[in-house]
Parts: sequence; C-alpha cells; structure tokens
Amino acid sequence: MSEVLLHAEGIDKNFGITHAIDHITLDFYKGEIHALIGENGSGKSTFTSCLTGIYQKDSGTFTLNGRQINAHNQVDGNYQGVAIVVQELGTLSGLTVAENIFLGKEDEFTKHGVKNSRAMNAKAQELLNSYGFDYIKATDPIDKYNFEDRKLIEIVKATHFKPQVLVVDETTTALGEKGRKELFRVMHSIRDDGRCVIFISHDLEEVLEQADNISVLRDGELIDTVASKDVTADDLKKLMVGREMNGKYYRTDYGESVPDEVVLKGENLSVPGEFEGLNIELHKGEILGIGGLSECGMHEVGKALFGASFDRKGTVTLEDGTQINDITTAISHSIAYASKDRDNESLVLNDTIEDNICLPSLEDLKKNHILHAKDMRSFATKYAEQMSTKMEGVTQFVSALSGGNKQKVVLARWIGKDSDIVILDSPTRGIDVKVKADIYQMMDDMRRSGKSILMISEEIAELMGMADRILIMKDGRVNGEFRRNPDIKDTDLIARMV
Amino acid sequence: MSGLKKFKQSQWYGVVILLLLVVLFWAVFKILAPQTFGDLNRMSTYLKSALIYAVGGCGLYFICVMGPFDFSIGANIVLSSVLAVTMSQHFGYVGLVVAPILSGTLVGLINGIVYIKLHISSLIVTSGLALIYEALSVFATNGKEAILSMDYRAFGDYPANLILALIAYLICAFILKYTKIGTYTYAIGSNEVVAKNMGVNVNKYKIVAFTLCGFFVGLQSILTISYGTSMTSASNMSSMSRNFTPLMGTFFGLAFKNYGHPVLAIVIGEFIIQLMFNGFVALGAPTTVQNIVTGIALLAIVTLTTKPVKGAVVK
Repeated sequence: MSEVLLHAEGIDKNFGITHAIDHITLDFYKGEIHALIGENGSGKSTFTSCLTGIYQKDSGTFTLNGRQINAHNQVDGNYQGVAIVVQELGTLSGLTVAENIFLGKEDEFTKHGVKNSRAMNAKAQELLNSYGFDYIKATDPIDKYNFEDRKLIEIVKATHFKPQVLVVDETTTALGEKGRKELFRVMHSIRDDGRCVIFISHDLEEVLEQADNISVLRDGELIDTVASKDVTADDLKKLMVGREMNGKYYRTDYGESVPDEVVLKGENLSVPGEFEGLNIELHKGEILGIGGLSECGMHEVGKALFGASFDRKGTVTLEDGTQINDITTAISHSIAYASKDRDNESLVLNDTIEDNICLPSLEDLKKNHILHAKDMRSFATKYAEQMSTKMEGVTQFVSALSGGNKQKVVLARWIGKDSDIVILDSPTRGIDVKVKADIYQMMDDMRRSGKSILMISEEIAELMGMADRILIMKDGRVNGEFRRNPDIKDTDLIARMV
Repeated sequence: MSGLKKFKQSQWYGVVILLLLVVLFWAVFKILAPQTFGDLNRMSTYLKSALIYAVGGCGLYFICVMGPFDFSIGANIVLSSVLAVTMSQHFGYVGLVVAPILSGTLVGLINGIVYIKLHISSLIVTSGLALIYEALSVFATNGKEAILSMDYRAFGDYPANLILALIAYLICAFILKYTKIGTYTYAIGSNEVVAKNMGVNVNKYKIVAFTLCGFFVGLQSILTISYGTSMTSASNMSSMSRNFTPLMGTFFGLAFKNYGHPVLAIVIGEFIIQLMFNGFVALGAPTTVQNIVTGIALLAIVTLTTKPVKGAVVK
C-alpha cells in the first residue's frame, strides 16, 4: 500500500448527549478513493465535517502529509489542504458564480480594499472552461442555474486549488447522469494525481465501482476498513447493520392481528421532488412503519398526510370520509404530527413546557370561553409527568431541555390532545437509550388502546422492533412491504432501500 | 432564445420596469391633475426629495439584505442634523458636512455593537437606542429649534444636493460591487451558516453594515437639514416617522436586487413614492387617503416583483 496522506487519530465529537463519532482512528492513502459508508447517523458526515472545518472536533488530531491540521471553517480548511462538496446546496443566492467560487478568498483579488471583479470573473471563467463547464458564465447570478449546475460550480469551487484531500459527501444523489460523470472524472483525476478522495455515498454499487477502499461506520464507531475488490454489496450491508436487537427494548409480541378497519387512507399521493404515486392505509390499532434512506421522500409523507405539504396531489381521507387538506382540519379530526425537525417544526423553543403542551388543546381547556391558568398548569403537569419529562417544572422553558426531553414534551402534547392517529417522524432521533425505551413503551400502550401510529424512521432496528407493517421507500416510491415477523432480516429491508 | 426572453433575463429588465412605473404614475396623476402636478419644475422638486431619502435607503439596504432592521435612523437623522447646525456655526461647511457624517457613523457603530453583544432582536435594540439618541438631540439643542444659517444652505438645492447624493449612490454601489463587504452582505443574507463556514466573520460584517447605514444616514442628514433648513429635537419616539420613507426605497432595492442594480432601484423607487405623495397632494386628497393608496401601491409593487418560495417562512 502507498504512503499515508491523511491520518486521523482518536477523532471524537459529541452533540449534547449524542456521541456522534467515537474516537475514530483511520488512515487515508495517497492516490486513493476511500469510501465512508454507514447507516444514517453513523457519523460519516460528522467525521468529514470535523476534518473540513464545518464542525470543531472535541478531541483527536488530523495529520496531513505529516503536518497536523485543524480547520476552523471551510476556507481555512481549503488553505490547509482539505475541501468538501456538501450534501446540501453549498452555494449562495444573491452572489454571482465567480463570487461563489471565490467566497472567503476575495483577498486574492483585492488591492487596497478594492475587489478586482474583472480579474475574479476572468479567473472563474478560466476555471469553469478548464473543467469543461464553459456554458456556465462566471458573471451570471448563481440563481440563474439549476441545482445540478450549482453542484458542478461547487465542484469547481472545492477542487480548483488542488486540495490534498477532497470530501464528496452524498453529492451524487443530487446529480443526474451528466453531473455524476463529471464528478467521477474529477475524483479520478485527483486519485491519479496522488491525492485522495473521501467519498460518502449510500449507493453501494457506486461505492464498489468508484472506491479503492471502504470504511464502515456504525453508531459513530469505525467497524472495519475493507478493499473494494474483496467484498460484495451484501458484505457491506452486513457490516453496516450488524446490530443485535434487544428483546426488552422493543415490542415482543408477534402474530397479533391488526383490525381491518382503515382509519386513514392516502390515495395517489404525490409531492413534487419528494415522492409520487403513494397509496397508503393505516389501520386502527396499528403501528405502520415507513423506512428508507434519508432522501427517499418518506419524511414528506408524514407532512402530506397531516395536510402540511405544499403542492400535494392526491387525497387523504379519514374513516368517516373527511378529507385532510390542511393542518387545522387534521388536528380537529384527532390527527397528531411530530416532525423530524423537532426544534424548528414541532416546538416553540422560547416558551414554557406548559404552553407547548397546551397549544393544540386550548379550545378543549376553555371554560366559558376563558382559559384558566390553573387548568393549563395541571393539564401540562399531568402529561409531562406521564411522559417522565425531566424538568424543574412546567414553567421551565423548552429551550433548556435536552433533546430527549424535548421529544417527550412533543409527545405529551399529543397524548394530552388524545389524538387517535399519531404520525411520528423519527421519534427517537438523537435520543438516548433510556428515553427511547420510554417512547417505545408509550407507543405500545397507545397501540393497545386502539390508537393508530405512523412511524417514519431511518433506524431499521426500530422499524423491525415496533411496526406491525413496514413500507420501505426508495427514490420517492414504495419499494417493498414487510409484515411483522421475527424472521425478517435487516438485510432484507436494506436491500429494498439501496 | 427570443429577444424578449433574453431581455427579461438581463440586468436592465428591472430598471426598465421601474421607469415604466414612473411614467405610469406620472401619466395617471397628470391626467387627473393637469394644472397642479408633474410639470418640469414640480418634477425637479419631487426629485429633490427623492434624492434625500434614497441616500438613507442606501444605508438601510446593507442591514435589510442581511436580515436585521434599524429603527433608529429617524433619531439618527434628528441628532446628526442638529449637530450639523451647531457645528456649522463654528466651522462653516466643514462642520456641516463632517459633524453629521461622524455622528451618523458613530450611531451606526453603536447600534451594530449593541445588537451583536446583546444577542437580541435588532428591532428592540434600535428602538431602545432611538430613545437615547432622541434624548441626546434634546440635550444638544436645549429643546430649541436648530436653524441652519442662510450662509450654509447650498446642499438644499441643485446642483450641490445632486452632487452629494450622486457621490453617496456611487459609494454605495461601489461597496456593494467592488468590495468584500458587498459580497459578504449578500452572503450573510442568503445563508448565514454557510457564510460562516466559508470563513466570513458574520458578527463583524453585521457591525460593518450597521456602521455603513449610519454613515449614509449621516449624509442624508446633511441634505435633510440643508433642504428643510431647521430641525427640532425629538422625544417619545416622534422620530419614528422619519424611518419609513427611506425604508420604502430600501424595499424597492430589495425587490429588485436580483436584477443587479439595487441602488438605481432605491433611487427610482423613492422617486415613485414622491410622485405618489405629491400626486395626492395635487389632487387635494386627505392625508389618510394618500396613506392608504400609497401603502397599497407599495405592497402591490413589492409583491409582484418578489417571488417567494412556496412554504418558506417569511418574517
């Protein structure tokens, strides 16, 4: 094997109670495309974000060409020899193509405080042309270009200065055939040049095709590093999941029948750019799981059923024929929804636990059109305590709670509302084992009392452990259905996802 | 691509729309009030007012593009104007020009630092500080009206007002286009997190934006006191009403920023506002009706020219 280019030693990063990456030590070699794979939340992006300056690591060192590096932001990382093409859109609206390419590096074109836009534009155009993207004009506002072209511009931005290490973080999902080809061409030229590409992708075939070596992460830990030529996609899947299920943690019942009664039905549902042609039925007393990769469109399904999607097509109907087209109708017909984006879409952070729990139940709490503080306090306290929320009192602000306890407040809100249909998107995201067990217990209790739950989750074990039925989505469509059965293997589900 | 489609994508499309709006408003009021509206002399007067407000609008643009807001520009104008009068009595034109620029810029700098240090809404910070600046204006004048000497009123009329305003617009356009400040202003406004990841010192450039706003408000104060010739100190937030006309110009700048000429949009936008105000005066319409129609027209123009993303949270 050739010489080590980048050595990561004991890289560790926590986000609150979540241990995102756990003392990872890993070598990357000169002239190598090195893939990082793993389930959602396994720590791939966090690891590369620490390398490239998007996040600051808690401990550990990166050594590039024998010199320790510590990037404080992306541009700082660029100057130290590392660059990244991110998963999301990394270019900025309102700026030109050239300004985006050289954002943070304006000093290279600035003399006595005056930016030489002409020189910057000329240099940017020269770079674009050298990559074969001459149809992109450096002087154009970036907003003129579509997502794929903007990704290509990002590739130029990240690679034009010849970084020693380039991270490509799940970029291929955003690219069409043309874009992928261009990206792979750039990746190969970096490898051929004796530098290194760290390639993150969920597409295992693509990983096997492009990468020389593959490292597998799971729950923030490095599981193994293998040579692409020695493994198959199935081997990789086993390494990715490889997790034992804990019987006490999840439901233990199998073979219980679910009533035929359909309480919520979605027909021909589509949301442009997210998913299409979805038909879905949720039965009374059922936990229906939806799984897939993060971008498969499943997270939008929850919103669509709750009437919160824009441009939704198709119908969502309740058992009594009521159509759900907006959130107000959904809530008034006993539907609850807890978003994956807890802080931005589910909670009013700068408000008390009491107000957050009472929010959808204010109408029910009114006596003679007047809300009484005492009633609200006892209502909130009852349900917060029922969920064992760790708090100083219900007057505490939600912003002061941990992720798990925030989620308990969200759930307490909907238990208090006594909703019959509960849509939970990633209910245990970023939550520790103890709280997870509480949430699973609550879901099981709700199911037994005849409530119906739609659980959208990126965690395979959770789907298998809790759902009566699992729909697996891929690229915006349902790609498989599994009924609750102790014999289902996680690899069966993964095979339908990737 | 057809010629029209090409033109629609060009940077001058927005300017042409604005000029057509100017012609439209002028024509409507000219038909309704042919004797009292829109001859050359009157148009020159409307422009004179528009030039003044557009200078403040340019300053406010730096802040509003990033997202925050400055509610203290009215108080800044009052304070800088009374200081301009006082200093002109001692140092002539030098005092008239330097004092408001310095005080305006200092007020902007204080706004920026307090906003960043306190981590609270810019609306609250600048409203609170506006009360302090108003109080300072009372101290500076002992509550009396500050009257600018006849000897120093050149910036109240053509050509000096036009020259000073043009210098201000050029400085604004230059900063936006030819300095890092301009690039970072837009970058922070587009996505603060990404900008931070690119090494942009977001807090520093927010303070720079507030300081620049203060600088342009200082310049506006020179024109305001020279045109109005006197200024009374303010209290109890009475300076607030001075915020809105420059802000309307800024709205035009924001609405047309994607066409690449925000400064031109601010100036032409202010001119449109003046056409409307003066058109209603020419028609003898009561102030309340003027305000209703102006408000509706402003909302209509900005709504039609901005294309909000579906589902995006607008604050």
